[in-house]
Amino acid sequence: MTFRQFAYRNVIRNRRIYAAFFMASMFSVMVFLMYSMLLFHPKIDDEFLREVASTGMIVAEVILYIFTLFFLFYSMSAFLQARSKEFGLLLQLGMERKQLNKLVFLETMLIGAFSVATGIVFGYAFTKFFFMIVRELLQLESLPLYVSWKPFALTIGSFLSLFVIISLTSVIFIREQKIIELLKGYKKLDELQSYSTVKAILGIFLLLFAYGAAAFTSTKVVFTLSLLLPPVAALGTYFFFTHSVLFFHQQIRKRKSLYWHRYRLIAFSEGAVKLRENARMYFIVTIVSTVAFLSVGTLTSLTSYTGQYRELNPLALIYTSELTNPLERQHIDLLTRELEEEGLSYSLVPYLVKKQTSSFSQYEVDILRESDVNQLAVALRAPLIELEAGQAMFIPYSENSLTSFKDREIQTVLEESNVPILVKGVYPEMLFPTLSFGSNVIVVSDQDYLLINEPVIGQTIEESFYKFYAFHVPEWERTKSIGLEIDSQVTDAIYSNQSNDLPFYFENSGLNYSIIRATFSLLLFTGLMVAAVLLLAAGSFVYFKLYTGLERDKRQFEVLKRMGLTDQELIKIVNRQLVPQFFLPWGIAMLHSAFSFISLQVIWHDLADVSILMEMIYVLIGFTFIQVLYYFLIRWRYIANVRAS
Amino acid sequence: MSILKMDDVTKVYEGKVTHRALNQLSFEVNKGEFIAVMGPSGSGKTTLLNIISTIDTATSGYVTIDGLRPEEMTKNELALFRRRQLGFVFQDFNLMQMLTVEENMVLPLTMDGHSVDEMKKRLLDISMKLDLYNILDKRPNEISGGQAQRTAIGRALIHKPTFILADEPTGNLDSKASRDVLELLSKVNQEQETTIIMVTHDPIAASYCDRVVFIKDGEFFNEIYSDDRRQTFFQRILNVLSLLGGNVNDLSTIRLS
Repeated sequence: MTFRQFAYRNVIRNRRIYAAFFMASMFSVMVFLMYSMLLFHPKIDDEFLREVASTGMIVAEVILYIFTLFFLFYSMSAFLQARSKEFGLLLQLGMERKQLNKLVFLETMLIGAFSVATGIVFGYAFTKFFFMIVRELLQLESLPLYVSWKPFALTIGSFLSLFVIISLTSVIFIREQKIIELLKGYKKLDELQSYSTVKAILGIFLLLFAYGAAAFTSTKVVFTLSLLLPPVAALGTYFFFTHSVLFFHQQIRKRKSLYWHRYRLIAFSEGAVKLRENARMYFIVTIVSTVAFLSVGTLTSLTSYTGQYRELNPLALIYTSELTNPLERQHIDLLTRELEEEGLSYSLVPYLVKKQTSSFSQYEVDILRESDVNQLAVALRAPLIELEAGQAMFIPYSENSLTSFKDREIQTVLEESNVPILVKGVYPEMLFPTLSFGSNVIVVSDQDYLLINEPVIGQTIEESFYKFYAFHVPEWERTKSIGLEIDSQVTDAIYSNQSNDLPFYFENSGLNYSIIRATFSLLLFTGLMVAAVLLLAAGSFVYFKLYTGLERDKRQFEVLKRMGLTDQELIKIVNRQLVPQFFLPWGIAMLHSAFSFISLQVIWHDLADVSILMEMIYVLIGFTFIQVLYYFLIRWRYIANVRAS
Repeated sequence: MSILKMDDVTKVYEGKVTHRALNQLSFEVNKGEFIAVMGPSGSGKTTLLNIISTIDTATSGYVTIDGLRPEEMTKNELALFRRRQLGFVFQDFNLMQMLTVEENMVLPLTMDGHSVDEMKKRLLDISMKLDLYNILDKRPNEISGGQAQRTAIGRALIHKPTFILADEPTGNLDSKASRDVLELLSKVNQEQETTIIMVTHDPIAASYCDRVVFIKDGEFFNEIYSDDRRQTFFQRILNVLSLLGGNVNDLSTIRLS
């Protein structure tokens, strides 16, 4: 048997323990390859989409890489510790340290090469499927599978280098130990029992503080808090797992009527030891799960924003034109012609918007005519209004303003034309997209409208009046291809920062919607896959730890069974041990994300007026479901292993 | 009156290599007896103890413990039987590392759902008897081997079992601690009339018993009863052992004239 064969057989015969390790790294390689395939795709023509796709993929890949590095490093060192007796024996039989290092290196590289190979095979096999989903999300004509060396080189290069780093560094853990210590195995029970009451209470306090601050946050402090709270919560979580858990256990221990009860004695003490023993791991799992929940939750909330997009943008196309704009006629003709060619029915309402200064606030207000507004309202099936001379009404510019203007009543004079009006109430629905006009828009009666004919002081008529064309298209999602030429002129002007020089402005909600939707759903999809990898890895951590402690647990249960523990009681003990291991990190992660979302809601509320509660509940329920499944799977394996003796 | 009866008990381990661990072994144990089972390595001592512990079943033959037939009982009944009627002492103590001395001792009572007051009363009683009162809050890794084995004995005694089954209880102890443990066991045997079956390699340990049963290759070999002096009993044990091994060099070199 050569040295290489020895390493090979070690891996093959330890395959059960390597399985979780292998699965998690293979899955990571697989997802990484799919992202790389999209990253290097030659057929994404659209500049903007390509940018979104590649940025998203790069970020996702970096997260994947760092996380996998971390995961592998942790599991590798735990695994080597679990095998310390074996290494001690090899050293006792006269193996050199150098050879031992080589053995570990070979083993790690073997498993690494194998997981990279299978990951790439599966990854490539699923790439077509992945592309189909992405094509659907980005609404592209086609996204064919292609062959290029680049994505493969990136994946293989990244992961092989990762495994080299792991195998070189993880050896350090066994190098430091004396042979006799290796042979005895790691017994750290002394350390396990000690905790500091101060740190235990500090941990709980920090967590409560973070939750409290997150729950009662307001717009003013939310950005400061978003920098301050994550480290506080992370530190609190760390102390919670390393100290507070034992502190609570000690409190229960003191109450004998609670603690000295049937199998609780074993279940609680064993649970506490396991939690403490793996405290750092649970800390990591908690943080990882929190990040996973948060990223998916945030992305879901973005998608819910696109769902409410229509309500905020009732008009399909809007075209604003200054009076001096020479292209106005031509553009409107173009738009109507294109709409007709597409076979879309539409109604067009042209407005002449007049600007005046309000004596009440000294700000400029945009003034619309009652009959124009009613014409659009008819098309949109919105309520009609009836104004008498001297009366006016606010036009809402956001959902918020619908309620805030509702009971407002202002007596003002339009200074330049000297028209006194009473502005009372608000139009009950969003007629125009948020940024079509300024924030002061009113509608006045036709009589008063005619009286306004003086420009704003210091401006000409041409500067203070402008045209506004509102196109209502019932099938607004199909307007994607209308006015692309005008849209690109506007976009170019915005990019080159000359939008003020352009005498016109054009907005196509259908087009914007399709871009927003594609971007968000792509990000969501990417985030979901990253979260899936993280969750899988978090579960593997738990499985891995259980597996390395299996021998000890087996011996313990054997003694207990000899002393008269029934099978049902064994299962109950296992349940009570496993439940905190699975659901404590998960529960804390849930709490973390729930409170983060409360803060996030504050930010969202100001930005887009969108409630993300429902989306969050769906996401959390989804993750809970996965976690419960995972719990049953691992419990099943663990009980089978513990009982087989 | 016999409390344990073995009738032609045979145990065959099936597998790639079939192995007959016990071969038509028969003997009886009376109530309140302290007996030692001796024999060379691989003679079937541990298998015998496992069958008496009801965690293993005989391939053929009958075992009757306290009038009960283990093979006729369900798994749950067996577990309850072990929990109430048997106490175990092991060579490597097998204390629960995460429990304190006190918690280790009350473990059989908690499994059986006794009240906390009852547990405290019995704990106080037994910890005084075993001289463990000062270390009740210590953990197994903080106490000496002798103390650990006394804790294990406390755990085996606290539920007042009919039987104590001891597997090499002195195997990991120094001579002083061994003597303490053995004296303790014989005191328990005399005062509480608990039947004790002890598997051992050590002739000195065996010399504390009322009777020594020798087995060889899974078969009954011989048995001897104690007499008034431990010294001469020890000598007779050595004599049988020398016959048993067939090779005097296998045995302890100490010979008392």
